[in-house]
Amino acid sequence: MMSGGPAVRVSIESQCERQVQEVSLDGLETYVPPLSMSQNLAKLAQRIDFDQSSDSEQDGPERESREPWSKPEPEEDEGAVKFQPSLWPWDSVRNNLRGALTEMCVLHDVLSVLKEKKYMALDPVSQDPSVTKTPQVFQLISKKKSLATAAQLLLKGAEKLNKSLAENQEQRRQRDFNSELLRLRSQWKLRKVGDKILGDLSYRSAGSLFPHHGTFEVIKNTDLDLDKKVPDDYCPLSVQIPSDLEGSAYIKVSIQKQSPDIGDLGTVSLFRRQPKAKPASQTWHVKLEAAQNVLLCKEIFAQLSREAVQIKSQIPHIVVKNQIISQPFPGLQLSISLCHSTGEKRSQRASPEKSKPDDHLYVLEHNLHQLIREFHKQTLSSVVMPHPASAPFGHKRLRLAGPMAYDKAEISSLQQSEGLLEKIIKQAKHIFLRSRTARTIDTLASRIEDPQIQAHWSNINDVYESSVKVLITSQGYEQICKSIQLQLNIGVEQIRVVHRDGRVITLSHQEQELQDFLLSQMSQHQVHAVQQLAKVMGWHVLSFSNHVGLGPIESIGNASAITVTSPNGEYTISVRNGPESGCKVLVQFPRSQAKELPKSDVLQDARWTHLRGPYKEVHWSRMEGRNFVYKMELLMAALTPCP
Amino acid sequence: MGVTCVCQVPVAEGKSVQQTVDMLHKKLEQLGAVKQGNFWVDCETYQATGNATGQPTKLLYVMHNSETPLSSMALFEGGPGLTADANFDVLMVKLKSHFQNAKGHKVESRGTRYRYCDFLVKIGTVAMSSSARGISVEVEYCACVIPGDCWNLMKEFMQSFLGSSTPELPAVFTSKAEGLYAPVDCMDTMSQYLELFGKVRKQQVLAGSGVR
Repeated sequence: MMSGGPAVRVSIESQCERQVQEVSLDGLETYVPPLSMSQNLAKLAQRIDFDQSSDSEQDGPERESREPWSKPEPEEDEGAVKFQPSLWPWDSVRNNLRGALTEMCVLHDVLSVLKEKKYMALDPVSQDPSVTKTPQVFQLISKKKSLATAAQLLLKGAEKLNKSLAENQEQRRQRDFNSELLRLRSQWKLRKVGDKILGDLSYRSAGSLFPHHGTFEVIKNTDLDLDKKVPDDYCPLSVQIPSDLEGSAYIKVSIQKQSPDIGDLGTVSLFRRQPKAKPASQTWHVKLEAAQNVLLCKEIFAQLSREAVQIKSQIPHIVVKNQIISQPFPGLQLSISLCHSTGEKRSQRASPEKSKPDDHLYVLEHNLHQLIREFHKQTLSSVVMPHPASAPFGHKRLRLAGPMAYDKAEISSLQQSEGLLEKIIKQAKHIFLRSRTARTIDTLASRIEDPQIQAHWSNINDVYESSVKVLITSQGYEQICKSIQLQLNIGVEQIRVVHRDGRVITLSHQEQELQDFLLSQMSQHQVHAVQQLAKVMGWHVLSFSNHVGLGPIESIGNASAITVTSPNGEYTISVRNGPESGCKVLVQFPRSQAKELPKSDVLQDARWTHLRGPYKEVHWSRMEGRNFVYKMELLMAALTPCP
Repeated sequence: MGVTCVCQVPVAEGKSVQQTVDMLHKKLEQLGAVKQGNFWVDCETYQATGNATGQPTKLLYVMHNSETPLSSMALFEGGPGLTADANFDVLMVKLKSHFQNAKGHKVESRGTRYRYCDFLVKIGTVAMSSSARGISVEVEYCACVIPGDCWNLMKEFMQSFLGSSTPELPAVFTSKAEGLYAPVDCMDTMSQYLELFGKVRKQQVLAGSGVR
């Protein structure tokens, strides 16, 4: 069968005869001892299938024994065992090999036919055209159907995606409302009534006693069109505040000159600033804060007007519409008004003139807010349990009133009896007095150049007290002439002046008093300055008086005078300075220099000519020098002859 | 708080208590005093129970004064005194078992209060169970707290409107350890009132006839 080619050796090796029983640690293999004859027989006997008929058994071995077999087994036991030669171990191998050989031969033949094409050739089989030909309409329809199925699937998927996306958005909006609600709840008090959510924006939990309910309602904003673009300031939550708290409000405190006509009262105060047109979709926290502010302003105003009506004062307070008018000082008017705008534009204006923007005392408005909050705190803290638990409610110090037998005066001094209105009027009075004092000092300082007036205001003030240190000096001689230093303590209604020399003077709120006082101090300063200058220049002070009783009477204060004499005694300078009459300087010359003195027979000795003689007035205005003290120095220098 | 002197003014002959009080008011107003509201002083008696037998029961007096509206004073006659909070009255209710309230013995003095510069004059009608028994006059000199310094001035002032009914120096001041120069206490005023109320209580038999 094999056509040429070298023969392939096929080597067959039997397996190891004996099985390895054990491999010891040093590599020595222990083989299973071979089966003995009887053991082998037993093994073979087990393979016999005794169920099969003995004919086939008998035929089988006879047939097989005729086959060309190289070595039949000599030791075969004929009696019991009918060994089937087809079951010999190499049979399957032989069959497989034979099959493989057949296949290889066939393959070889086919390939040689293909290659050589001498005897046989390959020819394609012609297909039946009628079987493969299908009408194009069917193709179209089938394609369409398949496409339609595919499209349907895709559409379904897309629809699902769309739905899930819309759900997500809706959920996000839903979640937005809840998160907004959570934020709202973290800042404001909310409670659920039925299916409505109500909130409280009043100060009642902080101690206020105002009877307004202050309830607002939380509503969900569902009027949003999902298709359109979401506006930037969209908020899923909106609040509805009570109608009387809409808009914005503030308390305006201002001090004006008293209006001459009482009929002017009653005009509603306008807004100084027009509030910006707020869009309807304002965020809730701005709305709530504005409403709370309106409520607080209403409470402040209600408290103030209640006190204005109840408390008896010397000049009654007038409460008109939304204004409270009182008179802190004669000629002055303090008006506290509640300005509330609801945001709608007003077509008509109540009064044509606009109030000046700097009229509004912001400090007092802030103080009003602070005072009412303090009042809230007080109402709360009085409910707080006192220590020890047996003590009565009230001020801590008052608990000592019983055991220490405080009388009514002491008790009333412990208890605060001042209301909000009184406090704010006192503060307004103080502010006004302080600003007027400042203005007085400033006008004086700008009007009068010699001497100079300096004011050092203290930074730390009380609501009812401020202080300023006023120094009167001459320019260039600050170190020498610093005897006039005044400390002004500005109170609610009075100004207390403490002089450097220890005098304490109380001035009233009149502007003129302070001005007159300062002018008199300035005139005294000039004379003091001469005294100090004399010390420096070596001149001797002969007499000095702060309040001379001679000469024309001054309408403001008193005139002061000083007389100084030169070191060698030859010349004397006499100065009289008054706030109104100005300064008068006279110089006394020695008799020898006076020309108009007649020679007298009485005084014959020449030494009498060295005495000082008549006085001569100095034309002070024509004197050279920047200020009084400089002029005085020059005069003194001129009258001191060089050695 | 100043030096006080409490005295009793006898009812004028042939006149009722009210008329005598009105006379005093008129005198004060002529002097130039200014009316400044009302005043009241009251005294309640409590009997100590559960005492050792043989000893007389101690009487505790709890007094109130409108000048010190938040205080209650408790004192024994001639003995120690205590100034306390207004809650003391509630405490006394709790001590009902130890101190029994003798309700019929409550004495009080009510009247008007006049101010004359540094002097405070209180003229009151002493009443026991709503029947007037006498007149009490309290003069307080607010500028001083040492009785020794101002007793002469007070005496002169009292003479100007009380005339012959001017009292002598109250015993509370002299009985103190430091004498006349110790500062006064509200207890001194209360002791004086207690003395006066005691006198009025003893007088009850006589005074009951001349009133109504």
